[in-house]
Amino acid sequence: MHHELTVWSRGIIMDKEARDVSTCIATAARRLGYYAENVSDYVDDPDRTNCLVRRYARFADTPILDRFVYENPHPDWVVLVEETIIKAVNFFRSTGDGEGVLVINSARDPQYLLKFLPGHMLAKLGRLVVVDATGLAEQRGSSPWMFVRDLSELAFDRMSTEGAVERLAIGRGIAAPLIGALVAAAGDLPVDAVAEVVADRDAMLRGAKQHTVVQYARES
Amino acid sequence: MSVRGTHVPEHLRLPIAGVTPPPTEKEGQRLFPTGNFRFFRPVYKDKTPPCNHACPTGEQIQKYLDYVKHDRYLDGYLTILQDNPMPSVTGRVCYHPCETACNRAEHDEPIGIRGVERFLGDFGLNLAENPIKKELPPLNGKTVAIAGSGPGGLACAYHLRRRGYASVIFEALAKPGGMLRAGIPAWHLPEDILDREIAKLLDLGGIEIRCGARVGDGPDGVTLDHLRTSYDAVFLALGQDVGRRLDVEGAQARGVIGAMEFLRETGLGRPVRIGRDVLVIGGGNTASDAARSAIRLGGGRARIVSLEAEDEILIQPEDLDQARDEGVGFRPNSALVRVLTDGGGNVSGAVLARAGLAKDANGTVTPQIAPGTETEVRCDTILVAIGQVQVLGWLPAHYTERGLVKTDDFGRVPEKGEGEAGAGTVFAGGDVMRGLSMVVDALGDGKRAARDIDRVLSAEPLQPEDPVEVMPYEKLNTAYFRHAPRTEAPLAPAGTRRSSQATEVTLAYSREQALAEADRCMSCGVCNGCDNCYIVCPDVSVMRDTRQNGHYSIRTHYCKGCLVCVQECPTGCLEKVPEMDFDEPDAVVRMETAFAPYDGAHAEQAPFTRQLIEDAIAEYDASRSKSNSIHPNGQGVTP
Repeated sequence: MHHELTVWSRGIIMDKEARDVSTCIATAARRLGYYAENVSDYVDDPDRTNCLVRRYARFADTPILDRFVYENPHPDWVVLVEETIIKAVNFFRSTGDGEGVLVINSARDPQYLLKFLPGHMLAKLGRLVVVDATGLAEQRGSSPWMFVRDLSELAFDRMSTEGAVERLAIGRGIAAPLIGALVAAAGDLPVDAVAEVVADRDAMLRGAKQHTVVQYARES
Repeated sequence: MSVRGTHVPEHLRLPIAGVTPPPTEKEGQRLFPTGNFRFFRPVYKDKTPPCNHACPTGEQIQKYLDYVKHDRYLDGYLTILQDNPMPSVTGRVCYHPCETACNRAEHDEPIGIRGVERFLGDFGLNLAENPIKKELPPLNGKTVAIAGSGPGGLACAYHLRRRGYASVIFEALAKPGGMLRAGIPAWHLPEDILDREIAKLLDLGGIEIRCGARVGDGPDGVTLDHLRTSYDAVFLALGQDVGRRLDVEGAQARGVIGAMEFLRETGLGRPVRIGRDVLVIGGGNTASDAARSAIRLGGGRARIVSLEAEDEILIQPEDLDQARDEGVGFRPNSALVRVLTDGGGNVSGAVLARAGLAKDANGTVTPQIAPGTETEVRCDTILVAIGQVQVLGWLPAHYTERGLVKTDDFGRVPEKGEGEAGAGTVFAGGDVMRGLSMVVDALGDGKRAARDIDRVLSAEPLQPEDPVEVMPYEKLNTAYFRHAPRTEAPLAPAGTRRSSQATEVTLAYSREQALAEADRCMSCGVCNGCDNCYIVCPDVSVMRDTRQNGHYSIRTHYCKGCLVCVQECPTGCLEKVPEMDFDEPDAVVRMETAFAPYDGAHAEQAPFTRQLIEDAIAEYDASRSKSNSIHPNGQGVTP
């Protein structure tokens, strides 16, 4: 087993969420005895508001030998922390045909979301998972720009983005339901075991239950 | 990621990595398209300003104020003419629901829209030729009969003409104008202005007014059936010009006159005799007009006796102030109980009692007279202004309901059956349909009737108007509007006013005053080309064609969705819309170059590195004496 997870998000306003998704998956995998790597900040400028940023995790049951390669060469799990990214970029670059598990934080109809994928990306899509993570997360703050965080938290997260400090609570806010939906829909990691490393365990389990899966590629 | 100043070896250099060209640089926006930063898109979406929405004719007030602001009076005048045929009239007599709705009232004071309308109206009236005459379509051969030449009938004829229909207006009185002439005194609306506005309409061609022809069951044969069979459609704008009668003892005395009749005779220029001590019964605008006219004609004094208390009186506030300045007296909370007469049957006084209006649970208002509070007052004339009706006995019974013409949502009179001649082509509007209302209501009814008659005659379905989004004050960026006091329209001195029926009370704005008022408009919800979005955009993503309404556009391939423009739009015409709502193929801005200039540029091991790893693994494998091992990943291992 070898999985590569790329989490796409937006700088500053939901960078922390993306980092938490990759961190939790890598941590849980390592606890479960897999070989795992987590790249929480590389190349993309996370200090630019709204700018697309990526975080990477991979795990396997054999040693991972792609040294010095931090961006996943063949991502098969892709998480979009914000739905508009589906229009923004080709996140299935070098993904195997029919192998991509795509998790989108959206309250929209999955068929509406599928409209945005061109043919060459649809060819790589195996399963589409739509979860309203914003709705399932613990609601804090009021600004849609900060999702479920208030301004002081945002300032703190911004510092941690730059590597200065890191909060102890990893896996809160919209990250938790996203992790739940990803783990439950992909099926390779046990949900309960992953939930152990997620700070907002309840929201994670809500995400594991309340999501929509569209099986797109034929299962072989 | 900027690596400016860092030595980057040739083999690591990527086509654009490391250098983000600023958007202002040549090709800057093309090389680094950042549209995928955005998840809200700024969109120009004009809303309806509250003034426009409140106006029954739907005048585009924001638009003509903007024209006045830029000294484009002809454009402003033409804008009004799209909805209202007689701005010189409404600019004088309208009760300005637009000013009541004006968002500026919450900011400081409403804009003097009526005064600006009058300014533009008089500008147009003084033009040598009606500017719309050349653009009218040729007559299409269909003719509509209109009963009544008041504002409703004239507006209907005008809008029909704009659509190519001819019309014949039947007017019962000797001169056209309806209530504009026979209800509104000349000191409000000079006869000359009204005559010129009507002449301007007639000049368009295709509109005929037959005065002295009362539609009804009279001997001259202008019956409803005649209209329905001889014309393609009928518009009933009969108005309400019959004053209600007083129902008290002595009401038959000589000197008890209906205020409507008094105003009509005065308006038609007939000699009218009025006493020097006049009581006006009623608490509405007719009472005020009658009292003020009585002062001018009789030279004496006039007092208004109203059931309403002083603060609930139904006279327009500015009219009330002017009436007080002219010396009109008020007897609020009073009712007329009995008319006193002298030996010759002439009015010699009246008995008044304390009274008020009681409102029951249904909102119905009934007068309550307190017994034992009667007092006598001297007077020689009593003008009765306690409401108006219309004689509708000649109409089919199913046309009328409680003294008004009954219509559906489109102003169409219900028909009994399909077989009836001209079924579905009889429309009604104005006072006779809605009860006592404003001139501008009738103008609006006429406009809508013309539109719907056109639809019926061209076999199109009647459709309700589209719902509109009215811009509330809260959504404006009010920080951009400095407080500026309203310029009130100047008034003629009260002393001069009192002495003559011909002295116009409210005077016109000067050009500077009209400009100052137009300049106060906040352009609620409508882009007025202020350039703010263009200036504040930090990414040079707002494009400008010409500095004009609606000529901005957003470079969607570059706009990052920071929404500074939305925040800083003074009028609130810019809105943020979720980017995901745009699903047409052209709206998808997928940018590959922002992340990797070519497929796999970042996510691939350099051959040199791969060789190092492969060598190391081979060495390790050799030392473990294991051969032919294949990594399950299938990568980085040579057999």
